[in-house]
Amino acid sequence: MSKVNIGERVRRTEDLRFLTGRGRYIDDINLDDQARAVVVRSPYAHATINAIDTADAAAMDGVLLIVTRDDWQREGFGPIPTKSGIQKMKDGSPLRQSDRHCLAMDRARYVGEPVALVVAETPAQAQAAAELVDVDYDELPAVIDPVAALQPSAPQLWDDIPGNLCLDFELGDREGTEKALAEAAHVVTLDIENNRVTAVPIEPRGCIAAYDAATDRYVLYNASQNVHANRDAFATQVLNLDKDQLDHIAPDVGGGFGAKNSTYPEPPLCLYAAKRLGRPVKWINSRSESFQSDTHGRGQTSRVTLALDADGRFLALRTDTVGAIGAYAWTVGPFTPTGGAARTQGGPYRFPAMYYTSRAVFTNTMCMDPYRGAGRPEATFQTERIIEYAARKLNMDPIELRRKNLMPPEMLPHKTPMGLDVDSGDFPLLFEETMKMAEAAGLTELRAAAEAKGRKFGFAIAPYLECTGGGPKEHASVTFNPDGSVGLAVGTSSTGMGHETSLSQILAAELGIDLDRVRFVQSNTQATPLGGGHGGSRGMEVGGSAVLQAAREIVDLAKPLAAHLLQSETEDLSFEDGRFAAGGGSVSMADVIDASMDADRLPDGMEPGCLDHSSVFERGVISVPNGVHAAAAEVDPETGVVDLAGYWVMDDFGTIINPMLADGQVMGGVAQGIGQAFLENIVYDPDTGQLMTGSLMDYGLPRADDIPNMEIGYYEGQPTAKNPLGVKGAGEAGCVGACPAVVNAVLDALTDFGVTHIDMPLTPQKVWRAIKDGGAHDPEGLMRAVS
Amino acid sequence: MPDITLNVNRQAVSKTVEGRTLLVEFIRETLGLTGTHMGCDTSQCGACVVHLDGKPVKSCTVLAAQADGAEVKTIESLAPEGEMNPMQRAFHEHHGLQCGFCTPGMVMTAMALVAENPDPTEAQVRHGLEGNICRCTGYQNIVAAVLDGAKAMRG
Repeated sequence: MSKVNIGERVRRTEDLRFLTGRGRYIDDINLDDQARAVVVRSPYAHATINAIDTADAAAMDGVLLIVTRDDWQREGFGPIPTKSGIQKMKDGSPLRQSDRHCLAMDRARYVGEPVALVVAETPAQAQAAAELVDVDYDELPAVIDPVAALQPSAPQLWDDIPGNLCLDFELGDREGTEKALAEAAHVVTLDIENNRVTAVPIEPRGCIAAYDAATDRYVLYNASQNVHANRDAFATQVLNLDKDQLDHIAPDVGGGFGAKNSTYPEPPLCLYAAKRLGRPVKWINSRSESFQSDTHGRGQTSRVTLALDADGRFLALRTDTVGAIGAYAWTVGPFTPTGGAARTQGGPYRFPAMYYTSRAVFTNTMCMDPYRGAGRPEATFQTERIIEYAARKLNMDPIELRRKNLMPPEMLPHKTPMGLDVDSGDFPLLFEETMKMAEAAGLTELRAAAEAKGRKFGFAIAPYLECTGGGPKEHASVTFNPDGSVGLAVGTSSTGMGHETSLSQILAAELGIDLDRVRFVQSNTQATPLGGGHGGSRGMEVGGSAVLQAAREIVDLAKPLAAHLLQSETEDLSFEDGRFAAGGGSVSMADVIDASMDADRLPDGMEPGCLDHSSVFERGVISVPNGVHAAAAEVDPETGVVDLAGYWVMDDFGTIINPMLADGQVMGGVAQGIGQAFLENIVYDPDTGQLMTGSLMDYGLPRADDIPNMEIGYYEGQPTAKNPLGVKGAGEAGCVGACPAVVNAVLDALTDFGVTHIDMPLTPQKVWRAIKDGGAHDPEGLMRAVS
Repeated sequence: MPDITLNVNRQAVSKTVEGRTLLVEFIRETLGLTGTHMGCDTSQCGACVVHLDGKPVKSCTVLAAQADGAEVKTIESLAPEGEMNPMQRAFHEHHGLQCGFCTPGMVMTAMALVAENPDPTEAQVRHGLEGNICRCTGYQNIVAAVLDGAKAMRG
């Protein structure tokens, strides 16, 4: 392979092993003498645990160990407090949380909560024994819906937390917003539910824990997308270890989307069991258990109010959200419906005033943690739905209404009323470019084709503004090896995004070396002292910037050597396209690297290996990816079935490292948004709290014929100055823009029927029912009890 | 416990298995061919698709004992010398994979689809891939890869 550049569609180096069956995922790893673990999970949504009798289970063939709450209490293992970015209530008091242990202690609070760990020689033996662990439960009333959980009569999850309220929150100008609402020519209000979904990476979670008594050290192989943060929590909060006693390594990870970011209970249970047994312990979650025990996302109910003047100019936006966080304040769970969803309220529109208030509420369900977008999809959906709804109610053209209110480029940089620092972009340009793409695809012809089939046609456009997040620091370490290879270790975690290629591409491009010399390492606490893993579209923004910074510092380190080789002075050197030049001579970086390993070619004071270098990049301010989605939908009024007839996207991700990989992120994100909009829904029985969507038979994922082809364009005219690469972030934007685009397109198609709102997922049954009901809908029906 | 003899990736294999052993477990755990993946427990995801006597099957839905006497091909059979076949190359070229977990099943399904219909339309490809779930790619690049892989295999 030859030289590469930033911005080139470089094919992926990781593909060869994945395409030939040589990927190494967690379940592909087996350690000598390993035992197998199965988790005993609560069958009740809410129940007192009186006693746990393990005698029959322990007597089963092959059973080695059963871990219960008694072990956890005896060992003095700690709970895992939430790291939510918002830690204080409106009144300044701390958010309310109780202990989240790895096993249920006095009570089980959701179906699937771990109650015991059974370890046996084989998975089948462990499973058989798990079924004989006799747990004496007294079932308690459960509450599932977060609005219901706020009612005075609701079952209470925690004795010391009144009203099931974990955290309340507000942001923005309350008085100014209220004043604008009172004085506006038009005020439109709509209650919206953002359905509870789950990430469903196709590889289920799993881990292998091993303990070495001689050194009192542990190693954990784990399908994690955040090995450093997880290691810190497992070691210091749960197991009372020093961080350096635990090496945490993620092998190839089969998708994550946020759900493999969390501090889950199973790995510490396995680490403890490995020490007790003196044998490695392997645990692999089943898919059905994954629905119970992988974190969920979204699950917010909101009242959104938009004030407009007589000409349709936006005056104010007010949002009041109730967000379920599940039974515990999980890793960062309370942040999503509070600070997470607040920041990008109002999207790329000019709003003189905005006010966001929300409550994060305990429910007897699996817990919430980030799922791709974590708050920004909700904010965009709220903003775009209320705009579309207002256009319909006020007989305005929804496209014109948006066009009129977009922030013009001369308004930037701009701090929104939500405090978001929007530094760069051209929202009207992207809007018009997206419209052109859709029109070029033939909206008129698509409409005619739909109508010829007896179908209704709809079109919608949805601008979005989002923001990056996740750990602000990233470490990149570069080593030059005598065999010619170049080691690159970064603390990010690709779970499919292709960092092995894109981060190596940045290094190779910057140094001017061949890409295939780079040996990439990630997700390994031994390889990098710190790392932020993956989340918040930070891979290129923070990880890429760390690699770029390290590469630039290596060029500086190499200058004395290059000058020595060229017999010139360091200050006379230039470096371009991988070559140092001075006077008439030049030398390639590759040659300089070779010389750096050869003591005979080094100047005095430089030693072999002198170019090896590590660098830590720290983000100052989060960046603001933005763009526009548009969708065309056909609806069969006889059946309620929706077909997407077209999909167009323009994104401003700043600098694009590898457009092929960026396309992949957009396509996958849009598919997840379309999944949420039409198919996906986590449903618990509202009375018993039993999970009704507990398998892939019940939880609908999009398949190949559910997703349309997308046309994707990029605007790279205004890279951000917030990081040296100019990257704004690409990973989550797809599913930020998709839900409003497709839902609004369907509702546009249903105009003739008077249908103005349907909550996701827009299943054929719900669409058909809305048509039959002729648009009868209570716009304030969801939040009345708590507003 | 049944004794079975079968041909896996052109090699004869004779083993004694538990009656309840699934073909996917036999392939992964007994034979150590870990390219075939398990993504679910209800035969929905298709990560475990292999060819059984030339037909694509979800190997989580077949007992190892049922494969007695059969010819099984897994993802490992497609590039025995490390040289990818045209379908694998098309997935690489079109970025038809991200995390790679669904990929072996996806490629094995695509190979069977093209064997049956060497010149499929896009709609036929999308329909043919319905039994395989990918959570990363949004399918667009997979579909492009299968169409292009089919073309390359037609020669």
